[in-house]
Parts: sequence; C-alpha cells; structure tokens
Amino acid sequence: MNIIIGIILAAIISWINFVAVDTFLGLPEAPGVKGAENVGYSIKNRKGDLAGGFFQGNILCSPDASAGTLIAAIGVYALGIQGGLIAALLVYIGNRLCADPGYAGTCGALTMTALIFIFSFIGILPEMFICGMVIAIFTIQGIHHPTSSRLLGKIAKSFGRYTKYE
Amino acid sequence: MISIGANGFQLLINYIVAIIVAIGVALLLRLPLLPEKPIRFSWTTSALFPTPIFAIGILAIFYSLKIFWIQEGLVLAIIVGLASAIFVKYGFDYIFPRPPQNEDGGAF
Repeated sequence: MNIIIGIILAAIISWINFVAVDTFLGLPEAPGVKGAENVGYSIKNRKGDLAGGFFQGNILCSPDASAGTLIAAIGVYALGIQGGLIAALLVYIGNRLCADPGYAGTCGALTMTALIFIFSFIGILPEMFICGMVIAIFTIQGIHHPTSSRLLGKIAKSFGRYTKYE
Repeated sequence: MISIGANGFQLLINYIVAIIVAIGVALLLRLPLLPEKPIRFSWTTSALFPTPIFAIGILAIFYSLKIFWIQEGLVLAIIVGLASAIFVKYGFDYIFPRPPQNEDGGAF
C-alpha cells in the first residue's frame, strides 16, 4: 500500500480506537489523578469542555488507551504480535506506577494489537500505525485544546460518560 | 501480513491455555471473578483483570526470547498461567501497593 494512504488510514483507525476505548472506560467522567483535574479545569477556563478536559488530562498524566495504542504499535513493529501483548503488560504496570486504577491502557493496547493484525492483511504496516498514532494524538493534544475538548465532550455525551463534576 | 512465527497456531493455543489456567487458578485461590463496582475506577485485583494480562504478557516475553522449552511452549504456558495467578493473589499488593486515597476516590 502507498505509504501516505497507509499512514492516513492508520491515523483514522488509531484515533477511533483510542477515543472509543478511553471514552467507554470513563476517562471523561472523572480525573484519575490530581494532574488530570488541574488540566481539566484549566481547559474549562479557556472556554473548553470539562469532560473533554478531564479526558485530555487523563491521557496526559497516566498511560491510557492513547499510550497503549502507540506502545502496542511499537511493540508489534519490534517483536510481532508478541510485542503487542508485552506492551499491554507494560502499560498496565505503568498505570499502577502512576497511581491510576487503569483499564483503558491495557484494553487499548490489546484492541490495537488485534486491529494491527487484522489491517495487516490489507497492507497497513505496523510502522504506519506508529506514525498514524502520533498524528492522531497530535489532533487531540497538539492543535487547540478548547476545540478538541468540546469534540471529546460531545463524544462522551453520546457514550453516556459525561462528567458529573462542575 | 505480520509473521506470528512458524508455529503460529500452536502459539495461539498456548496463549488461550495460559489465559484459562490463569483464570481457573485465580478462581481456585478465591480471587473474585470481576473487580468490585464501579469497575472502571476499581483497584481490586480479580481473576479476569489483571491475571490474564500478566499471563500472556510474561508468556510473550518468553516466546520473544525464543524460549519454548518442551511441547512447543505448552508446558511453559501452563506454568506461567499458574505463576501469574499466584503472583496476583499473594505478591501483587506488595509489588504495586495502592496509593493513599482521598475521600472522592482520586489519588494524590
């Protein structure tokens, strides 16, 4: 597959994987660690959405599905399917070291390993997923926090995971 | 397509065996099947999470290092499944202690 098309497809797949897993496992609902709370209220003060802010704070402060997706892609690139499973274990240990109860990272790493395996049949390589995931996380964390937090807040509402904090 | 090794099907069986052994032994050791609710924010170790994660993760490290031992890695899968269940039951809280909690559940 053409490398540019592959990277764009990989970015879309990675984006859907980590946003869906993180939202489903409750990242927008509550800050798992103290830093996530600060990030959430800071983004809210800049006219962002509080649930989206908690989401961004959580993926910033401890390994969640975003980190799981990226590390799984790197693991599969380095060691094959085995690498994705090792990545899941490492993300789980990382979650515990960050004092985060943490299910999203491990689940995200395992779902991403499965997705990389499935999409390898149509020619998307693990290295495209590494690059695509960096682009996907850049769209959330790197361009404009209030805008992306409002999008994440809408997604959280549609999943029924909107925060009860004020 | 990603290579999963010459004996990919055998490895898949081994992982499934490791998961089943890990969950089975964890239940025998009286770990709960599921974490206490709310599951998304629970610190409880249980048979379904994280016991199989440890089993397949550690087994994957052995296979990545080309350590298969006998029966194409099947015996190793059973031993790793057993060991991870015992570790989660007895050693987990010592290696990964819970952080102090504040009253709304967040960690400081």
